[in-house]
Amino acid sequence: MKGNRLKCLGLALGCMVTALPLQGCGASSDKIEIEIVQYKPEAANYFKTVEDEFNAAHDTIHLTISSPNDAMTILKTRFIREDYPDIIGIGGDINYSYFVDAEILADISDYEGLQDINQGYLDIAESLELIPTDGTYIVPYVANAAGILYNKDLFAEHGWQIPETWSELTQLCEEIEAEGILPFYFGFKDTWTCLAPWNAMAVELSPADTAKQVNRGQTTFTQEYRQLAEKYLALLPYGPDDPFAYGYNDACTAFARGESAMYPIGSYATPQILSVNPDLHIDSFVMPASDEREGRTLNSGIDLGFCVTAECENKEAAYEVLDFLLSYENIQKYIDDQNAIPCKKGDFRLASMLDGMLTFIEEGNMTDYQDHYYPSEMSADALLQTFLLEKDVDAFLAAFDANWQRYNRDIIRMVQDYEQSLQ
Amino acid sequence: MKHTSTVGKSNRVALCLLILGLSTIVFPLYMTVVIAFKQPSEMTTSISGILSLPKTWSLDNFREAMEVTDFWHSLKNSLVISVITVGLSILIHSLMGYALGRNKAHSKFYNFVYLFIVSGMFVPFAILMMPLAKQTAELGLANWAGVIILYVVFYMPMNIMLYSGYLVNIPMALEEAAKVDGASTWTTYWKVIFPIMSPMHATVAVITALAVWNDVMTPLIIMAGSGENTLPLAQLNFQSQFGTNYNLAFASYLLSLIPILIFYIICQRQILNGVTNGAVK
Amino acid sequence: MKNERKRTFLLITIPILALFVCFNTIPLIRGVIYSFTNFKGFGKYDWVGLRNYIDLFSDARVGKSYLFTIKLAVVTTIVVNVLSLILAIGLNSKIRAKGFFRGAYFLPNILGSLVVGYIFNYFFTYILPALADMMGISSLSTSILSNPSKAWIGVMIVCAWQAVAMNTIIYISGLQTVPEDVYEAGGLDGATGWKRFRYLTFPLIIPFFSINMVLCVKNFLMVFDQIMALTKGGPAQSTESISYLIYNNGMSGGQFGFQSANAVVFFIVIVVISVAQMKFSGSKEEQL
Repeated sequence: MKGNRLKCLGLALGCMVTALPLQGCGASSDKIEIEIVQYKPEAANYFKTVEDEFNAAHDTIHLTISSPNDAMTILKTRFIREDYPDIIGIGGDINYSYFVDAEILADISDYEGLQDINQGYLDIAESLELIPTDGTYIVPYVANAAGILYNKDLFAEHGWQIPETWSELTQLCEEIEAEGILPFYFGFKDTWTCLAPWNAMAVELSPADTAKQVNRGQTTFTQEYRQLAEKYLALLPYGPDDPFAYGYNDACTAFARGESAMYPIGSYATPQILSVNPDLHIDSFVMPASDEREGRTLNSGIDLGFCVTAECENKEAAYEVLDFLLSYENIQKYIDDQNAIPCKKGDFRLASMLDGMLTFIEEGNMTDYQDHYYPSEMSADALLQTFLLEKDVDAFLAAFDANWQRYNRDIIRMVQDYEQSLQ
Repeated sequence: MKHTSTVGKSNRVALCLLILGLSTIVFPLYMTVVIAFKQPSEMTTSISGILSLPKTWSLDNFREAMEVTDFWHSLKNSLVISVITVGLSILIHSLMGYALGRNKAHSKFYNFVYLFIVSGMFVPFAILMMPLAKQTAELGLANWAGVIILYVVFYMPMNIMLYSGYLVNIPMALEEAAKVDGASTWTTYWKVIFPIMSPMHATVAVITALAVWNDVMTPLIIMAGSGENTLPLAQLNFQSQFGTNYNLAFASYLLSLIPILIFYIICQRQILNGVTNGAVK
Repeated sequence: MKNERKRTFLLITIPILALFVCFNTIPLIRGVIYSFTNFKGFGKYDWVGLRNYIDLFSDARVGKSYLFTIKLAVVTTIVVNVLSLILAIGLNSKIRAKGFFRGAYFLPNILGSLVVGYIFNYFFTYILPALADMMGISSLSTSILSNPSKAWIGVMIVCAWQAVAMNTIIYISGLQTVPEDVYEAGGLDGATGWKRFRYLTFPLIIPFFSINMVLCVKNFLMVFDQIMALTKGGPAQSTESISYLIYNNGMSGGQFGFQSANAVVFFIVIVVISVAQMKFSGSKEEQL
């Protein structure tokens, strides 16, 4: 009797185990499956619409786009499992450099859509490669801009002027403070926000290829970043008393509620800010870090680009998907939704909060983010957060150099081998 | 006389202290429930605002949270994984515990196997997680099935120790009697030994179920990014999507706590007994 | 007959042993092998010998994580054990509704530690400062989780909140093994209150004490879920537990090889601590 009961239990378990995988077998299709994993969760809704529209219009290809949180972690975990999506949507940063180096991306130089992309962004993509590699591996989709967001209504009310030099900026902060308003809000609990003002100032205070120069052994960060670090510290008193208690979301909410006049973060934050207060009038200006009005440049990089993975089985289908994504209407929809700057050539309507930076965009006066060259293991953002907490410039710069040497050992060796091979 | 009065007084003191201590447990849970029912507009930073009850007890937050976190799907995954793991653990670990327990006293081989497996208790998951991420993928097990297998292996050392320890109390005479009746070792085990071990089955079931249900790391390593989640994994994934909408977040937390709370209220005594037995052994 | 028995046992043992080896021993060995490479997790990699291990000892971040984790484990163990002992004595004494209290106090233990962490995250960030403001305690008016030197206390509180229950259960069982006549005999000799505890109760529950210590320290050394929920290792990397650092930098930080070395060292530490603790407590057990 007991044996029967046992057999029943075993049978039930067996049924459960076999039944479950069958559940997933409903979708047997002759369609080509293309999977995109892209890393901007704030654009999830946009991509859902695109996915639906594509699938409705295409019979032979079935597209899935997922926009998970912490997508880079998920992507890297999937790569460890050798489970590659067909297309990945990532930023033009160090991860892109790693992926190119690991040879897991496909060469897409034969993709025709590349010809419509602004050369400036293609150049940025090239310089991201650790050592110059033949071929193109990313289609730049949109760029962002990082300067200072400001509350237009507050500025108009108090008659504040947009600063064009560092001294004007500090003076403006004094003026704002004198009226009892907080000049800046910071969200330093999320360490990555520490990098926003850093990057925006670095483009004017340090050479664009600092990291590469250091790798070649031509300079050190202690030399190039000193002024940058000191000026960053000078901004802190103009922020909240405990900037480390607030994360990115908290800071966006505070700025949206008018608790500060300015917010030194990139254009990518506007959707979040507007979701809290849709009536807020935001504009932005380039962050002046030096006292040379003419030396200003806009901090801008590839915010989102698409790469086809080497494991993708059907490149043609992937190209068709890319064509759809890069259509004029879709790009316009994206930049309307996310206040981004398109990488494609053409007459696009930019969001009003980018007005203050239009001249720079139109002139192509842009410089990439320094942190796109920082290895992720180095946790430069955490280093920065520690620096802002302890306010010790020398210790920070020394740590930066030491950590750089340690984490980039293999890259430095690779770069120096390459340089030697050229000689 | 003096003895009982001091005992009576100290017991009343103990009672008071216990009730006060209870507030440290109740308060966070009270907050969770209250915040989950409130709307964002009711969230202020003043004390009265924090402690007050919500204006309406609407289930909107919960409905939204269920949608956002794909609650039912994750719940199903958690249930499937937990039930199958517990089932397999009881079957496999007790069997192995029997085989090892009966033989390790007089066989070097079995003693070695026993020590080998039990020493697995010292291996923290941290050192296994990265190679397992690769290995399960190579074997096509980067899914809920792989998670189940990993749990069965990971909890094997402890459960085998429990089962073989319990076996000491079961006299060999029972097995010999069954053999005299012509039963094979295999049948003897399932018909005689397995049923007798049911108190230990309960213990193992409880400990394993609790551990597996709440586990975050294993599904995180094996299943993250595959589109399938367990309940804790869903919490992790969707945490940043709540932004500053804490009400939605807390509704989601409460949802994920309810299954285990129900389980606990129903099976409280068994759980406490099981955990006690397991820990003491 | 005996051969049939032997054969059955072998047929049972070998497959299950193979399963164990496949999913426990082999990954362990592979982990050790990876620790000698600079593997990113994907792409190509090279053999680097002992470089990772040498780097481990000069890496401030790894050192900080060990210090934090050990500090957390030791302090939390002490706090938890003191609280559980007191609680156990309370729950073991003659009070009404004992079952209810035991059930209620065990509740935190069964809740998922991730969600508990999120709940306490909110509590520490918003509720506690508000309470402190109202009562005028200025040192608590900013969230302790944003303070690099105090954030660990927040983690400790959450760990303790959930762990007290388990230890209490063990202590209750321990207290119940002390027979009444011991107390009576002691009472005749004039032992009451604290003296009764120190000279009678405590020596007899030492076996349970040692179980609790081993379990506690080992569990807290492996803390992960609470870190994920409360601080994600911050602020300023002051609350990165060893497991968290291994996971974070190993899986998504591209330090697959390096963190494997870290994991090997961690493994050795766990083994050493467990063995040492068992030997130490074993010598102090007193037979009734």
